[in-house]
Amino acid sequence: MSERIIPWQPTVIAGPKQALLVTPETAKMMIKKAKRPLMIVGPSAAEEPLIKYATEISEKWKLPIVTTGDAFKAFNERGIETKPYGIVEIINLLKDPDWNGVKDEGQHDLVIFIGCIYYIASQGLSTLKHFAPKLRTLTLCKYFHSNADASFPNMKDAEWLNYLEKMKMD
Amino acid sequence: MVIIVAPKSKESKQKIFKDNFWKTKGFKVSIGDITGKTTKKESKISEEPSLPLGPTTKPNLTDLRSWDMKLLSRYEPFYAPFCDMCCLCTYGKCDLTAGKKGACGINIQAQQARTVLLACCIGSAAHSGHARHLLEYLTKKYGDDLPIDLGMNIDIEAPIMRVVLGKKPETLGDLKEALDYIEEQMVHLLSACHTGQEGSSIDFESKALHAGLMDNVGMEIGDIAQIVALNMPKGDEDAPLVELGMGTIDRNKPVILCIGHNVIPGSGIIDYVENEELEDEVEVCGICCAALDITRYNKSAKVIGPISKQLKFVRSGVADVIVVDEQCVRTDILEEANKNNAVVLATTDKICLGLPDLTKEDTDKIVAQLVKGDLNGALILDPDKVGEVATRVAMNIAEDRENLKILPDIDEITEMAKECTECGWCVRSCPNSQPMMDAVVAAGKGDYSKFIELYNFDVCYSCGRCEQNCERDLPLMSMLAKVGEHYVKDEKYNVRAGRGPIQDIEIRRVGAPIVLGDIPGVIAFVGCTNYPEGGEDVAKMAKEFLERNYIVVTSGCGSMTIGEYRDEDGKTLYEKYSGDFEAKGLVNVGSCVSNAHIPGACIKIANIFAKKTLEGNFEEIADYILNRVGACGVAWGAYSQKAVAIATGVNRWGIPVVLGPHGSKYRRLFLGRTDKEETWEINDLRIGEVVKGEPAPEHLLYAAENREEATVMIAKLCIRPNDTSKGRQLKLNHYIDLHRKYFGVIPDDVHKFVRVEKDIPIIYKRDIMEILKEKGWKPRRIPQEPSLTQLDGDLNE
Repeated sequence: MSERIIPWQPTVIAGPKQALLVTPETAKMMIKKAKRPLMIVGPSAAEEPLIKYATEISEKWKLPIVTTGDAFKAFNERGIETKPYGIVEIINLLKDPDWNGVKDEGQHDLVIFIGCIYYIASQGLSTLKHFAPKLRTLTLCKYFHSNADASFPNMKDAEWLNYLEKMKMD
Repeated sequence: MVIIVAPKSKESKQKIFKDNFWKTKGFKVSIGDITGKTTKKESKISEEPSLPLGPTTKPNLTDLRSWDMKLLSRYEPFYAPFCDMCCLCTYGKCDLTAGKKGACGINIQAQQARTVLLACCIGSAAHSGHARHLLEYLTKKYGDDLPIDLGMNIDIEAPIMRVVLGKKPETLGDLKEALDYIEEQMVHLLSACHTGQEGSSIDFESKALHAGLMDNVGMEIGDIAQIVALNMPKGDEDAPLVELGMGTIDRNKPVILCIGHNVIPGSGIIDYVENEELEDEVEVCGICCAALDITRYNKSAKVIGPISKQLKFVRSGVADVIVVDEQCVRTDILEEANKNNAVVLATTDKICLGLPDLTKEDTDKIVAQLVKGDLNGALILDPDKVGEVATRVAMNIAEDRENLKILPDIDEITEMAKECTECGWCVRSCPNSQPMMDAVVAAGKGDYSKFIELYNFDVCYSCGRCEQNCERDLPLMSMLAKVGEHYVKDEKYNVRAGRGPIQDIEIRRVGAPIVLGDIPGVIAFVGCTNYPEGGEDVAKMAKEFLERNYIVVTSGCGSMTIGEYRDEDGKTLYEKYSGDFEAKGLVNVGSCVSNAHIPGACIKIANIFAKKTLEGNFEEIADYILNRVGACGVAWGAYSQKAVAIATGVNRWGIPVVLGPHGSKYRRLFLGRTDKEETWEINDLRIGEVVKGEPAPEHLLYAAENREEATVMIAKLCIRPNDTSKGRQLKLNHYIDLHRKYFGVIPDDVHKFVRVEKDIPIIYKRDIMEILKEKGWKPRRIPQEPSLTQLDGDLNE
């Protein structure tokens, strides 16, 4: 079990504050509680089957999507609306309490990550951990992200896809 | 006296300056104008410069603080802590998470900035320590009075030193004054990192920028010293192509491998080999910048490749003698060399490896001890002795090591691979999570294709962390090296030998097109190997911008990585593109210390094209570069503290830098906010008014997640407020074109870069006009002399 909650890249361990390991059920609770959640999808989720999962999860929970890297192109080609930002740009905006969010409706209170490159995502989560105290972070990757507030554990593909399947349901 | 001189064609440039006319006649030349005549040769280190001194000669830690604050208020530091704690003193460890302070009162922002300053100090010290080594050795050998003469076409020999010190060095000995100055500054900077010193993150950043600037000076000292003393290429655009790649080495000969950055031990080897007429008997090659610099010294030397080749090549056993000097050498090099009985010679005080100091020992005795195996290496601090010992030992032991250079039966690798338990820790411990386990599992079934995918383009850059975590202790790096050697025998490429500085005449030719925007940008690929998906990404980016008429500059490991790529015609980019500093030129300036010539070229544009005084005039020059010179650095695989220092230094000159995703581990970026319009206001010096500006350049230090994102960002970061409408059209055309290529659509922020309708690229006019209408765009005046100076908020004004 412990291997599931050691960061996927073990050297990412930064300090005493570690993410809470969550199941899809807890993750969905977090989304339900959030007022202005946002989904950030990286280039690792720009291909099937992940692009389909990301899309369906965002539709299910009415999550606006920000794409990072070049992920915008794949979503755009499928007719899915997303807003492209560099991962460091969107993190920089999310840590500013005065920023008005991607829909110009106010700063977000929950950010859900999937498909960003592990180590740069980890750095971004560290920024938010330190400098965005009111923002919750949740990662749906198959890797445990210790810098998030809540993260799925390290998993094999089959188990992970099962987790993502559950995220599409109530 | 002002005489307008028409621009000269490229074909005529060599003839014009062959006889060093300008120097012998004592004319001062600027923008093709003869602006005056000196009556005598400028005095030693130019105590009386011809132009009035600017306000900041030999600036101390706070003299350029005002400029730093201008940069930092527009490009606010963005921190991504790599570690939540401070472990630097015994008050701690202190947890600084989310608002907590340490026992000394430091907060997480200041701790990050302090760590960046420390990294910049380390990087800067590496370059200036290197320069000190070079200078002490070279002045002893060639004398303090050796003139600094970089040839007929370079009158502005040391642009960084002129600006920072307010003086022009005339001789090798003059460089010592510059070194003394930066060493003094470095002591103060390092001191600021002590517990209970600086407490403000923004002031730590100002000091980091100062450390970066000191790094730039140190690099310039180092490269100028070695160029003039060792007769390396002096801005030669036709510097020779030299051999690159493991496949270029004749394994039947004794092989001496130089690793590191200091050319002096390598030059000692080459001198000995030449003096003894052994050129056909011995292979002298190198890894990392030492390789680049020995090929600048003698083109017959060979480049194995960037730092990512280190473990692969050492494990291959091909090298008989490994000569290490300084910087970027694996710290376990002796242990690795011992595995195949290679001999290690340490040659500088920076890396002694616990070896006995035999500098004063009789050469015959040293050779005998090393050949017999009584010693596995030695510390020798005399470069001439290194040359003799390395060569004689290699020639003596090569035959006995012959069996170590033969690949094991490939079946042996298959058998080893079968032991894999598929625990997956090799992948988890890989900095890039590369699929090493899949490669091993496949190899166990006789399929080496996945190993080859890791081997090609240094997708695996052989750090060896996977081996440390293998529960079966499989020698994964050796397996990779063996498979690579077995299947990839054609690693024969080339790289243009480092040419050193950019010629004044080249600046005269391209200064106006760069400043006006007709040449869309100057892009510099620098830094070390730590590529997220292999070195091919760097070469592809270079190719993309070369094809688009940008000037591409490169140095260090980046220049080698670019050389390891062949295009669809089977040519390396060095074979395809000239070494001229002009549109479509691929300019390898040389090793790490040669990086100084990249900001140096931008400084020369400000001086030659815009007549800006150099001496003591940092802020005006940096302000000019930031607002008018469309240059952008790229450190895609940046790896070391030196890379941090280099990037921070060029940032202070106003040059933005794009990093690869690993760059986020630097802990700090400088990001602009396009939604905060007030941060982009500029002073139009021509009309004396503060006017609305634009996010150009949008960021000063940016980390991209992948090549596609980086490519688009690089094009965008070449936009400058000073672009003419024609230039802006060109730059926007490339930005939009690349955005469409990698994102599929016209960028959503294009309206921010359209000042007047004339700025819109004709091909996209209809689409962009629609966007402008939708965004409620209104035209705005194009500033004639955009500047950040004389704005409100200057701390020292």
